Amino acid sequence: MILVRLIPISLALALLQVSLRVKGEGDLARRLQSRDAGAMGELYDRYGRLVYSLILRIVRNSAAAEDLVQETFLRVWNRMQGFDQERGALGPWVLTVARNRAIDYLRSADGRMSAGSLELDRLEHPGQFCNFEDQAMSLDRARRLKEAFEKLTPNQKTVVELAYYEGLSQTEMAERLQQPLGTVKTWIRSALKVLREQLTEAAAT
Amino acid sequence: MTCEDLRDSYELYSLGLLLDDEEKREVEAHLGRNCEVCQKYLTDALAMNAMLLSQVHEVVPPSRLRRRVLASVGAERAGWGWVAALAAACSLVIALWLSLEKRSTDRELADARRTLQQTVDERDRMEQAFLFLNQPETRQVNFGLGQPAPPRGNFYLNPRMGVLLIASNLPPLPAGKAYEMWIIPKGGAPRPAGLFQSGPQRTAMHILPGVVDANVTLAVTVEPESGSPAPTSEILFAAGF
Repeated sequence: MILVRLIPISLALALLQVSLRVKGEGDLARRLQSRDAGAMGELYDRYGRLVYSLILRIVRNSAAAEDLVQETFLRVWNRMQGFDQERGALGPWVLTVARNRAIDYLRSADGRMSAGSLELDRLEHPGQFCNFEDQAMSLDRARRLKEAFEKLTPNQKTVVELAYYEGLSQTEMAERLQQPLGTVKTWIRSALKVLREQLTEAAAT
Repeated sequence: MTCEDLRDSYELYSLGLLLDDEEKREVEAHLGRNCEVCQKYLTDALAMNAMLLSQVHEVVPPSRLRRRVLASVGAERAGWGWVAALAAACSLVIALWLSLEKRSTDRELADARRTLQQTVDERDRMEQAFLFLNQPETRQVNFGLGQPAPPRGNFYLNPRMGVLLIASNLPPLPAGKAYEMWIIPKGGAPRPAGLFQSGPQRTAMHILPGVVDANVTLAVTVEPESGSPAPTSEILFAAGF
């Protein structure tokens, strides 16, 4: 259970980085859109380590992870024109692209390629990553999310991990866990609801 | 479906994991008509997904990965990496070549030293032989004269300095064998007087330094390379003083 094993200090540092990264990225986005190659180095310095860690966690193969990191940044570079430099959030977008590239790799390696590949491609369109509130990824919200995750039942934690880090559909989760589909749907939706509510409460306070 | 009905669907939707096609169409229909409520749900879902994904334990990527990423967008010339690698490879080849060259030079130097030492030794022997021959008390006895193809040559004896043998037409030696000279006193047993080999022209020069009885017979036999305390083969040639 990767999320459970995290130590608080590393969590705090990682989330602090993400929350700081979200702010003040308009200039970086503008430079990337104007094909300023030097800005790519800055983008990599901000997110390269996190992207590599995430992809490696998913594919568990360092050589493949390096290929996918390169693919992730190249994809971001090539799609920057669709990014909203005023309201966009680079961090969530880059992380989503990284996760999707890694999941796509896992699916192709497992022979699970289907329409899913095209769907992931569509879901990481940069235009979706805008309108993030300043506090959307604050340290406080991240801490609340972590605490909420730790309170989930083991089954809920398992299905969240299978969704985020293995990209399993609910049908695939049901087969993997040898549980009825309805049970798995209940676990995943109830888990996500608990996490979401914690974030909502954090935003309200 | 109302916006609220779809509230629980956005995280899975943005992960590409929504099960129900009808539900997916509903979500996209709401987003497609710029439903502000659903847009906010989607943004919240994307933020939560990113926060969950960012909680992964961080690992330091290899430093080459940054160069690789930048090279892929032309921010860093990939060529520098290759140049560095090429330079490193060239350095390795040069170092290897120098190492082999040094080894070869060392071997040549050792050969040259050995040749020089042999030349010096030969020169010393020649000087010794010249000094031997130049002494008035040195006496000479030849052997092999008149024979069809025998070894030929001379023994020189100086009672104070020793014995000198100069021979030619020596027969080839079997492997593991050497010529051995003997001093045979009158009425006595042969005494070993040194081992020697012939040169490429089947010639040899052998010196036994030291005091020698003036009335002896000198003989040569073929013996094992390690020498024998007494002759074990027939006398190849001999001469008496």
